[in-house]
Formats: sequence, C-alpha cells, structure tokens
Amino acid sequence: MINFFTDPFLRAPTIGAMLMCFASGVVGVLVFVQRRSLLGETLSHATYPGVTLAVVAAAFLGLDEWLPLFILSGALLSALLGLLVMHFLKLRLKVREDSALCLVLAAFFGVGVTIASGVQFTHTAQFLKIQAYLYGQVATMTDIHIAIYGGLSLLIVAMVFLFYKELQSLFFDRPFTTSRGIASWGIDTLFCVIVALALVIGIRSVGVVLMSAMLIAPAASARQYTNRLSLMFLFAGFFGLISGFFGSYLSVVLSEVFPGRSFATGPMIVLVASTITLLSLAFAPKKGLAIRYFRIASFRFNRLQENILKAIWRHEKEKISLGELAECQGRSRQYIKLVLFRLMARGWIKSSSANLYTLTPEGHQQGGRIIRLHRLWEVYLVNYIGVGSERVHKNAEEIEHILSPELEKKLTRLLDNPERDPHNQPIPQSEGHVS
Amino acid sequence: MYLNPYSNTHFFSFFGILLQRLLAFCSGQLPFAELASDEVQILVLIGVALSSALVGSFLVLRKMTMLANALSHTILLGIVVVYLLFHELFHLRAFFIASLVTGILTTFLTEFLTKVIRLQEDASIGLVFTSLFATGILLINLFFPNTHIGIELVMGNVDALQKNDLLLVYTTLGMNVLAFTLFFKEFKLTTFDRALSSSLGLSPTLYNYFLMVLTSATAISAFRSVGVFMVLAFFVVPVLIARLFTHTLSTLIYLSMGIGGLSALVGVALSRHIFTIFQVGLSTGGIVVCTLLLFYLIAIPFALKRRVATSALYRAVK
Repeated sequence: MINFFTDPFLRAPTIGAMLMCFASGVVGVLVFVQRRSLLGETLSHATYPGVTLAVVAAAFLGLDEWLPLFILSGALLSALLGLLVMHFLKLRLKVREDSALCLVLAAFFGVGVTIASGVQFTHTAQFLKIQAYLYGQVATMTDIHIAIYGGLSLLIVAMVFLFYKELQSLFFDRPFTTSRGIASWGIDTLFCVIVALALVIGIRSVGVVLMSAMLIAPAASARQYTNRLSLMFLFAGFFGLISGFFGSYLSVVLSEVFPGRSFATGPMIVLVASTITLLSLAFAPKKGLAIRYFRIASFRFNRLQENILKAIWRHEKEKISLGELAECQGRSRQYIKLVLFRLMARGWIKSSSANLYTLTPEGHQQGGRIIRLHRLWEVYLVNYIGVGSERVHKNAEEIEHILSPELEKKLTRLLDNPERDPHNQPIPQSEGHVS
Repeated sequence: MYLNPYSNTHFFSFFGILLQRLLAFCSGQLPFAELASDEVQILVLIGVALSSALVGSFLVLRKMTMLANALSHTILLGIVVVYLLFHELFHLRAFFIASLVTGILTTFLTEFLTKVIRLQEDASIGLVFTSLFATGILLINLFFPNTHIGIELVMGNVDALQKNDLLLVYTTLGMNVLAFTLFFKEFKLTTFDRALSSSLGLSPTLYNYFLMVLTSATAISAFRSVGVFMVLAFFVVPVLIARLFTHTLSTLIYLSMGIGGLSALVGVALSRHIFTIFQVGLSTGGIVVCTLLLFYLIAIPFALKRRVATSALYRAVK
C-alpha cells in the first residue's frame, strides 16, 4: 500500500484524489449544516456544460496544454451561472426550491450532453476527455495536477479557516449576524463560491454524477461523532481523505484483478465514503443506531432486574418461585431465568432450594433502595405537586429506575426524610431497613 | 431495406413529409411495419414526454422533484439487477419488477434514514441515491466489460430505439393515465390537504409510494431514449411552464402534456435539421431538453408581464 505514495504513476492520482476529497469533505460540512445538501447535487451537474465547452474551446484554440485551467474556469463559471438561474427562478418566478434545483440540474446537464454529443464522432479524443468527468478519472493525473488541485484544495481550506467566524455565525443565527454588521449577502456569495470551487476541483476524481456524495457522506459521518462545528470540519476532512485514498486504491486494484475493464474512481470513492457513513450511522458512540438500541435494551434489562429484586423483597417471608416471578412480570421463564442468573452473579440473591429464591443482605439493601425511591417519589408527588395519592403509583413505578443517588439525597432533604408513603406503607431507610 | 424518407430534410420540410406520411398511414397506404426511424423516435419521445408531464405535475406540486432525481439515479441499480436476473430488457415482467422494486426501495431507504436513524432529509436522499448508483456502476463494470453503457445511460441513444421500445413507453403511458384517472381525486387530496386526507382514511404515505413507483416506471421507460438524468427535465420543465399560466390542476396537467409532446416533436425535427445542415448528429434527447428550455425562456416574459399586470390590478382594487 505504501508504494501508492512513492510509485511515480500512482503517486499523483492517489495524492490528488485524497486532496480533492479532503476539500470536498470540509466544504460538505458547510452545506450539511445548512441542510442544503442537494445544492451540491445540482451545482455539480451544472458544471457539466462548462466542462464540455472548455474542452471544445481548448481544442479549437489549440491550447491543449492549458486544458486544466480551461476546465476549471469553465466549470466554475457554469456552476455560478446555475446559482444565478436558481436565484432568478426562486425570487422572480416564485418557483419552489426543489423544482428550481431540479430544473437547473436537468437543464444544464441536458445542454452539456447536447454539446458533448456534437463532438462525439468528430473529435473522439475530446469526447473521451469530457466523459472522464462523468464518473471521475484520476489515472491520467501527473505531478502538475497535484500542484494545481492541491493548491486549490488548500485555498478552500484556508478560506474556511479565515472566514470561520463569519461562516459559523451565519449558520446558526441570521438576524444576529446581520446585527453585527456582517453583510448577509457577502457571506452568501462567499459560501456559494467556496462550494462551487470544491465541486469544480472534486469532479476530476469523483465525477459530475456522484460528486454530491462527497459533500454529504463525510459530513454526515462526522456529525455522528461530535456536536462541535470545528471538530466536524476536522472529522469530515479526515473521512474525505481516507475515502479518496481507498477509492483510488480500489479502482487500481480492481482493474488489476479484472484486466481489460476500467473501474472509474468516482463510484469507488463514493462506495468507500458511504460505507464509512453507514458504519458511523450504526455504530458511532452515543449516536449510532446499534448503540442507541443497545442502551435501550440494557436499560430494559436493568429495569427488569430491579423489578424482580423488588418482588422478592416484598415477599421475603415466604420464598418466591421462578414460576410466580415469570407470571407477575409477564415474561417467559427463560428470560426470567437469565435475569435471576445475572442477579445471582452480582451476589444479590441466592437460590435456597429448587427454583426458590431469597435475597442476600446486599440484595436486601438494593431492593430496599428501589422501594425507597418509589415511595419517596410518591410522597413528593402528593405533597408538592398535589397529585391524588391514588394516581401516583404508576409514575413512581417508572421513575424509581431513573432517580440517581444525588436526587435521592435531595428528595430526602426536601421531604424531611419521611417514614410513611401516601399509602401508609413504611419507607425503608437508606440502608434498606424498615425502621 | 428502404431509404429513410427524412434524410436531408430541413426543419419545415420535415413536417411536410411527416404530414404526408401520416395521411398515407391513415388512408391505409402505409403499413405500420414501414415506420421510419425518425417516426419511432417521435413516437417514443412523445410518449415519454406525456408520461413525464403527467407524473411531473404531481411531483412538482408535492415538492418531491428531488426525490424524482434520486429515483433517476437508483433506477440504474434496478435495471442492472433485473437484467442480470432475466437477461432481457424488453420483457414487461422484468420492467415492472424493476420499477416496483426501485421505487419502493428508494423511498423506503430514504424514510428509514430520516425516521429511524434521524439523519436530516436532504442528506438521506443524497446518501441513498449516490450509494445505490455507485453500486450499480460497480455491477456494470463487473458484469458487462467493454460496454459504454455508463455513457449511454447518461446521454440516451435515440438511434438505438426499436419498435419494442414503443411497447414499453406506451404501456407506461397507459399505466400512468389509468392510475391518474382512477385515483385522480385521491392524488389531488393527498397533494393539497394532507390533514384532511389522513382524517378521511387516505394515507398520504401510501400515495407517495404509489407516485414513486409510477415515477420510476416512467424513468425506466425513458432511459434508453433520453438517459437517466435528462428525463428530469421532462418531469419538471413542462410543468413549470404550464404553472406560469394556470392555477387549475387539470389545466396544468393538459397544458404540460401538450408542451412536452410539442417539444418532443420539434426536438426530433430540429435534430434532423441540424444533421442535414451541419452533418453533426447531436443527442436528440439533449435537443428536446434545449427546446423545452427555449419554450421556458419564451414564456417567462409573458408570465412576468402578467404578474406585473395582476399586482397593478390588485393595487388598484385595494
């Protein structure tokens, strides 16, 4: 893998793709936070006529050595034109946002296709150059490209860095920004230029068709790990970087495994990036779906443990059997057995004879604590909120699993350590004994 | 092999010959089998335009056009998978399965990301269609070496159209017309008043899925002639033009169908005209899109004038 950075033929494509994807990852955050991800989709398609015109113009003027510059400026201009058209549609013709996006996307792309088809059979070399921009092609990049694209990527990152405060304040509070004297239209223009620039750079490696993914996927992954904007930029840039590397790596390796077929870089980079996003959506700490479900499941399991502890605590005089527990909790015997096993492992209960269970002293204290929380809460509801004592049980049944020791202390102090609950049941003291 | 009667014709003589041949066809002198390739193109593109305008009216009004954009990407995966399973594209069964699966899968995945994973909606749409499209391209690269399908998908290729395509396109049109005639009231209600329709027991979500399936069927029927992306212009532009002139749903639908059909006709004639004069074979799908844009550009000044007049009238009344 290391030779991807040293090999003279692989070096430029690899580093180029990484830099481009880094820039689009960073810029993607700007779009993502504003919830305007589909803007990237439209603008990337809107660059297509610019690319085709630039290639054709460079061929007619005989300036093929300036082709990268032609393409960059052509694509940028046509993306900006697309923005202007959208602006006009929305403001003057009252076209809705989504229709305007869709219209600019399809119309610009259609114009691009028409121009491209014009040179399809007459200038095949040019046609192939244009088509390389559809799905991305980094293989033909040389060290000069690294300089151009790397320089532009750094420019974008520098712009984001320099105008960080302005950009940040704009996302979160528009009136506040205006009141601070930052011209709203100025930042809007800056934002659009940065996005267009990132797209124009990125289409070389990812392609017009899939470019929007490189704005969305890294930002969406980054969002899973942090709530802070500055960290989001870092994470998104990092995810872009590694997608760029593994994407171009895959495209080279697959072309070697299946000789005679060309694997465009764009789809590979996008597949890597969206795999990262899917994994992040599922398994990110705190926000991942699987983690969230695990938390919910473990909370339920804990609640059942505590309920069983309570049940045994209440029937401490006569020993309680597995069947009775399963019945009063409404669960299967297997599941209850699992919970009891866990409680035994924690040393809170012991089975005295076949399927009959009693509390250990430690378990007695734990069970008492839960009963105490339950009854304290009932007192609180009746005395301080004025809920009728016949209606407090259900709520207390829920809250007893949530109250923390600190809250328990505060409740005790507030209620002056009561000894009886509203149903005249004794409240166990902190050590778990009924006084 | 007979000669294409339209070779070397200019814009207006194209319509002359078309009219002549139409008359000959109606009087029974011209058998259906002798349909010239230009006529196949016209018929296919008109069919696509009519279907698209019909579906597009509701897409625009329901603000779902970017979902249609997502579908236009994901049908690639549907087409590839169904082709791998059935090894044919013209089979109606394969076609129906592809549109059903793509329509439902795209909508379902997007809703899953939005509602269960709680990703914001724009990002969910973007994430789903780009990854499915990339998967489709990967499958193409793996199973169909040395084909330019990737490029043809995007550009469309009217010259490769056959009479089989007519069957597909007009089945789709028939399906769309049938669906919107039978369920017009339901679509109208779920579009304009979701609350009322829910309280009457009509689920807006169900009709969303229905519309998405119709959209994906239309996009699939169009992909051979205009490619997967330009069909979006067929969905949106005629409706937006019609929207400038009317506020009535049924008028909107008829008007946009008319505009779509007309631009398909003009587009094919223009394509032939350009080929005759410059000897350059432009993508006919692209030309139809350009024609649609031209129509829009012509219509805008009228609409703006009308708007100024209305607001002046409004001020005077006030």
